[in-house]
Amino acid sequence: MKFRSRDTCLLKGLWIGMLFFFTMIPTTTVDATDHSKMINCNVHHGTCTQKLRDTDITLDISPKPVKAMTDLKFTINLTGKQGVSEPFIDLGMPGMKMGPNRVFLKSNEKGVYSGTGTIVRCPSGKRIWKATVTLPDMGSVEFIFDVIY
Amino acid sequence: MSSIEALYLTFLTTGFVVGFGHCIGMCGPIVVSFSLNLKTKRAMVPNLFYHVGRITTYAVLGGIMGATGAFTRITTGIGGLQKGAMIFAGLIIIIMGLGMSGWVPLGQIFGDYGRPDGIIARSFRKLSGIQSSAAFLPLGLVLGLLPCGPVYTALIAAAGLGMENQNTFKAVLSGMGLMTMFGIGTIPSLLMVARLSGMGWLKSRNIIYKIGSILMIGVGIYFLIKGLRF
Repeated sequence: MKFRSRDTCLLKGLWIGMLFFFTMIPTTTVDATDHSKMINCNVHHGTCTQKLRDTDITLDISPKPVKAMTDLKFTINLTGKQGVSEPFIDLGMPGMKMGPNRVFLKSNEKGVYSGTGTIVRCPSGKRIWKATVTLPDMGSVEFIFDVIY
Repeated sequence: MSSIEALYLTFLTTGFVVGFGHCIGMCGPIVVSFSLNLKTKRAMVPNLFYHVGRITTYAVLGGIMGATGAFTRITTGIGGLQKGAMIFAGLIIIIMGLGMSGWVPLGQIFGDYGRPDGIIARSFRKLSGIQSSAAFLPLGLVLGLLPCGPVYTALIAAAGLGMENQNTFKAVLSGMGLMTMFGIGTIPSLLMVARLSGMGWLKSRNIIYKIGSILMIGVGIYFLIKGLRF
């Protein structure tokens, strides 16, 4: 195989490598990283609680078991110090950009906020999702869990 | 900037960002297959036709979401279509790969030995030898239905616009606009992949063609299995 110069050869090699990389992405990305080790919440059997400074944040998702592509009710219960602004939840997948999917929460009673949202189905088959709960005045915590497709 | 303009900009950016990750994974193999399959060196125009078709489907879905404001109900309704689109994508990639390799005499099997004017023979010839740019428009329309996480996310936002907007016509336009912006955002990454795989010197090398055929068949089988399991 003759090439005009070494640089051209390198460039062509790089292009071929990139082409094969792009072609093989769907087969290589599936389960490339084991995100199941990151799970810190079992949303199917109850609520999950995390601490943010002086506030306990409890997340509940219903109906259970939690399924993708269905209307879900997200409820946040705050105990301890609370900010002024209403919290919100961003839904996403660990290690994969899925676009902005925010659940806006409304206050039902003091310290209890709820809203509806949907966890979408990823055709890759990955089922690990994260709900990032943000208290605008204080910070955010991540609840990582698996959903049923 | 109004809230709707800000949302359009957000999803244009989202399309651009996920395009270089998610879309290259899902639609990359499809555009690579198209580009390699095109015997001419001008792969850009057919690819643009494909994207116009894909974005048209996104816009229609966005319009429906805007009109109904019901994401889960609509996606449940089109679940079968999406499954079909994924299986179709797998089949088309496999056929293009087989056609390109030349190892299996599919042309003879479907043409000379069978009925040359039969629907299978005609379909095979069309799929394995698509050269007309306009033929990529209906392909884009169908493959725009491929199930995809970021597309679902954008559709949720379009449905949200439908719920917020009292005027149905405005809600439809807003949903269509949002999905169009998202789709436009995904184009640069896929055009880059198409340009890469459509290089003239690449096509001139037989060994690349053969290896590309194997990869295409493998990816097609992957799509087919995913589609059947969806």
